[in-house]
This record gives sequence, C-alpha cells and structure tokens, in this order.
Amino acid sequence: MSFAEQPGAAALGGAGLRIPGLFRERRNGLVTLALLTPGFGGIAFLFLLPLWLVFQLSFAPEGADSGFTLDNYASFLGDGKLVDAFFLSIELAVLATLFSILLSVPLALALRRPFRSNRAFRLLILLPLMVPALVSAVGLRLFWGDVGWANLTIQLLPFVDGPIRIVFTIPGLVLFYVWLFFPFTALLTLAALEGIDPAIEEAAEVSGASRWRVLIHVLLPLAVPGILAGSVLTFIESFGAFSVPLVTGGDYRPLSVQIYTVSAIFLHWNEGAAMSVVMGVTQIVFLVTYFRLLRRRGWSER
Amino acid sequence: MSQLPATYGRAIWDGRRVLGSTFLLAFLLYMLAPLAIIAVSSVGKTWFGPTFLPEEWGLDWYVWANSIGNIPEVLKNSVIIAAMAVVMSLALALPTGWALGRRRVPIRGFLSTLVLLPRMLPPIAFALGVAKLFYALGLVDTLFGVALAHVTITLPFALLVLSATFAGLDDRLIEAAEVCGSRPWRTFIWVVLPLAMPGILSAAIFVFTTSYNEFTLTLLTYGPHTVTLPVKTYLVIGDGFVPVASAISMILLVPSLLVLLLIQSQLKPDKLIGGLKGV
Repeated sequence: MSFAEQPGAAALGGAGLRIPGLFRERRNGLVTLALLTPGFGGIAFLFLLPLWLVFQLSFAPEGADSGFTLDNYASFLGDGKLVDAFFLSIELAVLATLFSILLSVPLALALRRPFRSNRAFRLLILLPLMVPALVSAVGLRLFWGDVGWANLTIQLLPFVDGPIRIVFTIPGLVLFYVWLFFPFTALLTLAALEGIDPAIEEAAEVSGASRWRVLIHVLLPLAVPGILAGSVLTFIESFGAFSVPLVTGGDYRPLSVQIYTVSAIFLHWNEGAAMSVVMGVTQIVFLVTYFRLLRRRGWSER
Repeated sequence: MSQLPATYGRAIWDGRRVLGSTFLLAFLLYMLAPLAIIAVSSVGKTWFGPTFLPEEWGLDWYVWANSIGNIPEVLKNSVIIAAMAVVMSLALALPTGWALGRRRVPIRGFLSTLVLLPRMLPPIAFALGVAKLFYALGLVDTLFGVALAHVTITLPFALLVLSATFAGLDDRLIEAAEVCGSRPWRTFIWVVLPLAMPGILSAAIFVFTTSYNEFTLTLLTYGPHTVTLPVKTYLVIGDGFVPVASAISMILLVPSLLVLLLIQSQLKPDKLIGGLKGV
C-alpha cells in the first residue's frame, strides 16, 4: 500500500481470512485481547479519560476537580460574549462550508478534464492539508493584510483609496477558513465526479441535452453524495478550527479560542470545560442528524 | 495563413475556455500567494512601506530567529518529540492494527467507532482534559509528555492505516511461505514485514509530520523546556515579530513539502482524505 492509498474507516470493516499456521484466524480470544490492549489502552488513557475529566470538571464547582453544580454552564450561558463566540463558530463554519462548495464544484469540473498542468492543480488542493495551520495563518495574515499583496492590488483599481480591512474581519476569516478547509470538499467532489460512468453523460448528450442541462440534471445530482460527504468534513474542521482564528481572528474569538482563553489564560478551567462539553455535544449532534438525514434521502455512501 | 484566423477566432470566441483558465489562475494565486509572501517576508530585511517587494533584502531575520528565537534548541525539541511520537504510536498501533486487520474481533463496530471518535471531536474540546491529566501526572513540560499528548491525535490514524495494511496483505504469499516450510517467525520477518513496510512507513511519516506540526495540544502541555516550532511561531507573532515568524515558518514548511513531493506520484483524491488533517 502506498502512502497515497490511505484508507478510511471502511478498512476496519471486513477482514475475513483463512490461512494456515500462525496467520490462521484463530479463535484464541486471549491473544486477540492481548493484541488489542496497547492500541485501545492508549485510546482509553489518552482520549476517553481526558474526555471524562473534561466532563467531570464542567460540573465541579469553580476551582474543584469534582462535585456537582451547574454554575459553570450558567456562567457560560449568562456571558453574552461567550454565547456570541458559540454562534460565531457556527456562522464561520456555515459560511466556510458554503463557499468551499462554491469553489470546489467548478474546480472539480475543471480538473475532471485532462490538461497539461492538471496534476499540479491536484497537488495544490493538498497544500492546505500538508502545511502546518500556523504557517498558513502567518501567510494568510501577511497576504491579506493592510499592506499585503492582495490589498496593494486592490488599491491599483480606481476609486479605491486606502487599504481595505480584510484581516480581523468576518469575511477575512471566511476567506482563510475556505483556504484551509475546502480541500475536504474539493477532493470528495472530484472523486464523485470522476466516479460517474461516462456512458451516463454520453447518453444524455446523445439524447440532445445541452452541456448546461447535462451539468444541472446529470452531473451535479450524481455528485451530491460526494459534495455532502466532503462538506461535512469542511464543516467540522471549520467549527473546531483553533490555531488560525487564534492568530488571525483579532477581536473575533470563536468558541475554540474562547475555551483556550478562559481556561489557560484566565484559569477558569471549570467554565472552559463546560464550554468544551457544549462544543463537543454540538458537533456530535450535528454529525448524527446529518448522517440520519443523508441516510433517509438515500444519499449516504456508507 | 489560412490557419491563423481560425486559431485566432477560436481563442476569442471560446469563452468557456477563457473563463476556465481565468478561474484556475485565480485559484492558483489564492492558494500559492499566501505561502510565497512568507518566503519573501523572511528574506526582506526592511519591508515596512506599502510596496510589493521589500526595500532591502537579507537573511537578518533568520539570524534573529537563530539567536533570539533560540531555534536550534526549539528544532531539536520538535524533532525529538516527533520521533518519540512515531515510536509510541507504532508500538501501540502495530499489535492492535494486526488484530483489527487479521483476527476475528468481537464488537468490531464499537471498536471502529472508538478509533474514529477522536477525529470527530474538535481537538480543543478534549485538550483541556489532556492538560489536566498531564498536570496531575507531572508530564507537562517534558519531551515525553508533549509527545504523548500528540499520540492522542496520531494513534487513531496509525491504527486506521496499519489495520488496513495488514488486512490488505496478499494471503497467497503468506500461504506460499508456509507451504514451503517457513516457520512462522521467518514468515513474519521475511514475508509479512516487507509486504507491510509501505503501510508502516506511511504511518510513520504521517505521525512524524503531524507531531512536528501539532499546535493545539502542544500549547496546553508545553513549558519553557519543551517549546516546539509551532509554539515558537505563535509566541513570536504574539511579540509582534512577524518577519521572524516567517523565517521560522520556512523551517516548519520543509517536512510538509517533502511529504507533498513524496505523494505527488500517486494521487487518488478520495483515498487521501482518510489520513490527512490540517489542524
């Protein structure tokens, strides 16, 4: 298996095999258990236990590790700034997802056809996934900043005097989020479009459909599962984004940044934990409803 | 002569093509310019005015990063932590990946969900718990502790890749070795390991780059002795030295770009999603 062929969750699904010797599928439960222990022990200790600690902290009185009170949730929900942070996170995630789709669909349509630098453009899509988010934040801040290249170019236009503020605004953050998180949408949209049987498209053309009609009535409907699967990834990545809004958000602090500020800077760990729980639950609820909806519509691939 | 007008006419009238090229060019600039400006800013000795390029060029910011930013020490931390994360992730994921890939495992669905769960929650939402736990155990501000915090993110990925690698091994080759009289451990060393090596290597490379780039969990578990490159970049930005941050960013970019070169020969869009994560 090559580096590029990293499988997703599906790979965990099935492995039925019948081979002799050491490699036969034995029913020796103890050996299986011993083999499973390191990995799942690691997950239990490094993920489940911290998750439980966050949960416990969120109900503990201020400064304590355990106990039961709803004060942390009350002070979170009573603080207008923190509630705004929650809605800002959702707003940014929704906008970033919409614009990612708007960028990804034409891009995938363009990359579907062979042309000379096609491969280079596919690599370009991977760039944000490989570059450390903090480095991207530095670059985006410089490029879109008041004296960055984008602003200098805008000012070459007539009727524009003075820099246009982009960094530290909501449109700016959306611009950055799209740069960072559209690859999930683009890659799965591209995969969906490339998976369409050319015969279907040809059939539509032979039947006299114009290119536009083929696009609207054949290609896009067939690509919808891919677009949706990709955009859900873009959504959760945007919702949870931390390093980029921390560096480029300015006064706009989404929930992730507020969790960090409240707990690690102001040392209100219990309130930070309550905010973490709300954030985690929101995301899980979103994912569950989303997949329910997909399955009901018959759009789910899994 | 007769061909010229035809080509000319096509170039003018093929609006779709022009539109497509413009769109791709704009996309190219949108993606690349923010990274290009980091490179320029890192070698721009003075660049304060609203100009497209620096007034003076020089490597001064790298010298600054080296002396004031203490980059050799920070780079050493980053590399040691990433290497420790690779060793720990593989040590934990190899046996479990083998079991998931090749053995009958009860409650498989539940275990799969467990592997995917850390990726479904925003890292910041459980990072507080990791910090709390590590403070209690005295792991904060140790190289081992920061590396272990990274394993939270890298272990599920290593499990996914390795279980798929082991599940995908060609049974016939293993069978052939057995039939030819090879003992189990010889089969394992000479047949199974070489076959699984690409998967193991890709897991190792991914864990290394993820740890090298990891910011969120480092920020909550680092201390004065365990500053890594991303944290240093953040601290330097906070101090207002953006050009120095650019110089450090250039060092941070190296492994990611190497990996991009490594994978560029085999691009399958849908397969890449599983492992790569930008935050």
